[in-house]
Amino acid sequence: MNFTFTQDQLDFQDAIASMLRSEVTADTVRSRWATTAGVDERFLSQVHELGLNSMLVPEALGGLGLGVTDFILLAEACGEVALPEPVVESVMVSTPLLVDILDQGLGNADIQKVVDGVLAGDLRVSLGHAINPCINYADSADWFLVSEGDGIYLVPKEAISLKARKSVDPSRRLFSVSFDPRDHVRVADGDVGARLQRSTLNRGALANAAQLVGLSRGMLDQSVRYTTDREQFGRAIGANQAVKHLLADVAVQVEYAKPVVYRAAYTVGVSPNRADFAVSHAKSAAARAALMASRHCTQVHGAMGYTWECDLQIWTKRAWALAREWGDEGFHNNRIHEWLLRKDALLGPEFTFGRGSITDLEKAG
Amino acid sequence: MELTFTAADELFRQEIAQWLNENLRDEFAEVRHRGGPGDEHRFVDERKAWERRLAEGRWTCIGWPEAWGGRGASIEQQVIYHEEYARAGGPGRMGHIGDTLTGPTLLAFGSEDQKARYLPDIRSGQAFWSQGYSEPGAGSDLAAIRTRADFDDSSRQWKITGQKVWTSLAHESDFVFVLARVDRDSVGHRGLGFFLVALDQPGVTIRPINQLTGTAEFNEVYFDEAVCAADDIVGAPGDGWKVAMGLLGFERGVSTLGQQMLFQTELDEIIRLAKLNGASRDPEIRQRIAEAHIGLRTMRYNSMRTLSGGEDGSLSREAMIYKLYWSSWHRNLGKLAMDVLGPDAELLEEGPYELTKLQSLFLFTRADTIYGGTNQIQRNLIAERALGMPKEPRGQGK
Repeated sequence: MNFTFTQDQLDFQDAIASMLRSEVTADTVRSRWATTAGVDERFLSQVHELGLNSMLVPEALGGLGLGVTDFILLAEACGEVALPEPVVESVMVSTPLLVDILDQGLGNADIQKVVDGVLAGDLRVSLGHAINPCINYADSADWFLVSEGDGIYLVPKEAISLKARKSVDPSRRLFSVSFDPRDHVRVADGDVGARLQRSTLNRGALANAAQLVGLSRGMLDQSVRYTTDREQFGRAIGANQAVKHLLADVAVQVEYAKPVVYRAAYTVGVSPNRADFAVSHAKSAAARAALMASRHCTQVHGAMGYTWECDLQIWTKRAWALAREWGDEGFHNNRIHEWLLRKDALLGPEFTFGRGSITDLEKAG
Repeated sequence: MELTFTAADELFRQEIAQWLNENLRDEFAEVRHRGGPGDEHRFVDERKAWERRLAEGRWTCIGWPEAWGGRGASIEQQVIYHEEYARAGGPGRMGHIGDTLTGPTLLAFGSEDQKARYLPDIRSGQAFWSQGYSEPGAGSDLAAIRTRADFDDSSRQWKITGQKVWTSLAHESDFVFVLARVDRDSVGHRGLGFFLVALDQPGVTIRPINQLTGTAEFNEVYFDEAVCAADDIVGAPGDGWKVAMGLLGFERGVSTLGQQMLFQTELDEIIRLAKLNGASRDPEIRQRIAEAHIGLRTMRYNSMRTLSGGEDGSLSREAMIYKLYWSSWHRNLGKLAMDVLGPDAELLEEGPYELTKLQSLFLFTRADTIYGGTNQIQRNLIAERALGMPKEPRGQGK
């Protein structure tokens, strides 16, 4: 058993995190806000050159063949800078669904073309799942993977009609979509479709959990800086216990959400449609941390925290949005306690890791 | 990252499970599931005998090196050991301070002579230890201790004078490690020594403290020129703080796993009860049970992450956070237990003041957020040391 990341994984995270910190600043995020599309094309081609789009695609299909635990720290780093572009969703959720469809011999003539296009960086795929009412950045997608009933449909943008919806988070570009769910665009159905939807939900919730951890970290760092610089009564406000304790509580939630997210990443890597419990735990812990971070960090910024000028809002608003997407707190908590109070639930100290772990996750699934 | 156990680890699991199955029976049947937090004062002699039985099977001090009678067990093996021990209903370990605090501290900071004199009796379940840190005037501010250790040139011994308080199970122990001031003029962290002191001597008086649970697990310990041999100071005079903090690091290391196993047993009992009396149909109770369960898993993942990261038990960010997290979790568990019981929560087991197991859990958890550093002190530490926030001006009250 080893619950740590390899030096390679940590080095890769460092490299990506420092690229993100220099490229994605509060100023560049605000300049995205001023545009219609909301994405920075130059940045997206940089992401492609780094190989992120093909990271989780098997080598046989032309990808790098890495796993979810290789990417999870990068997802966290994207959250830490409140990256607007849907890079994490693309790498961790929509591309793996494309791969699953291709892998299982499903789909139609278009699927190979779409996968190749994604790997080449020529095509973007947006994902619509029943649990989310809107699709983010649907206007810059070339293809859509949309679920309806048990079915999953692969639809070109020409066959989709979009209706723009405004998000409270100016970094998001939401759309409600409609399309004609005819047979020739359906790539999966029945049990197979339901299973793929479940994997997708788990991957999506995990993607958000990792970003929420990063967002929390970002908020915490800004707040430590602010409370160290800001003086009242002749000293830094951060010297006061009442202020310290608010941020200490956030630190506890964030640090303790991390391994839960990493553990879920491991399980999703092994068996994404049997990871309900691990993923719901991760989403719930990360959302709780991020919502507390939003609340406490706004509070310690005083009146400044309530201004449009204060950059903290970039993070807090994202946290509010991501905490609801891919299943809100109620949804994930329900999945947890439905499982927990079953008669055959495998409880007890020996079932946290090791021999019980796969079995109980299967039961959860 | 690899979250499964190897075949060799599974063999180890079978070995300990089988041994416990063959030994935790007959004369030891009555101590199963006893002696945990809030119940530590019960079955003391039987649990000491159980320590000796464990020692015969080489199941004490398994994390120690083989040269000192341990098994040099890996972190994974120690996890398995704790899991199986809890599953079998192994009683609260009388030897746990010696096994997890005194032993590792001597191995890290002690002389060869000290190791040779103290480690074998800890390992064999012959010597039991307690911890002498807090004083009436030194609680949260531990460095304010005033207990003195003076070296008496004529008898070539240390003489210790002062008072310790909240000393768990001192009245059932053979030794206490004492943090005392070797330099009378010193203040704060400087000028301290870390002493190994026998409790059975004329200079030591132990008085149990009655707690709000109606029981007495901890004590006041008075030292009036209590003697301690010249070579029973760990490290040099003046190194006391370093040794004392090293020991606290061990307290937050592998021994946390055993604690979590006890928590799991308590939670399972609460879930069992909630299913039995129908409380589990209440959506609010269901929600809180779920939260308790995931909170406990969160703790385990964090301990595993910290431990598999090769942490040496130093005060890492995770370790600092741990106390605050588990104590708040456990306090909520105590409250949950009472709410699952409903009106029965008020009724005593029997007179004159015998609490049920869950009542005693509820009241005991009220101490969790205080001992070993209050939640407020923990938050200060996290903010100042882990987050690097500005230090609060200290010592300006007078």
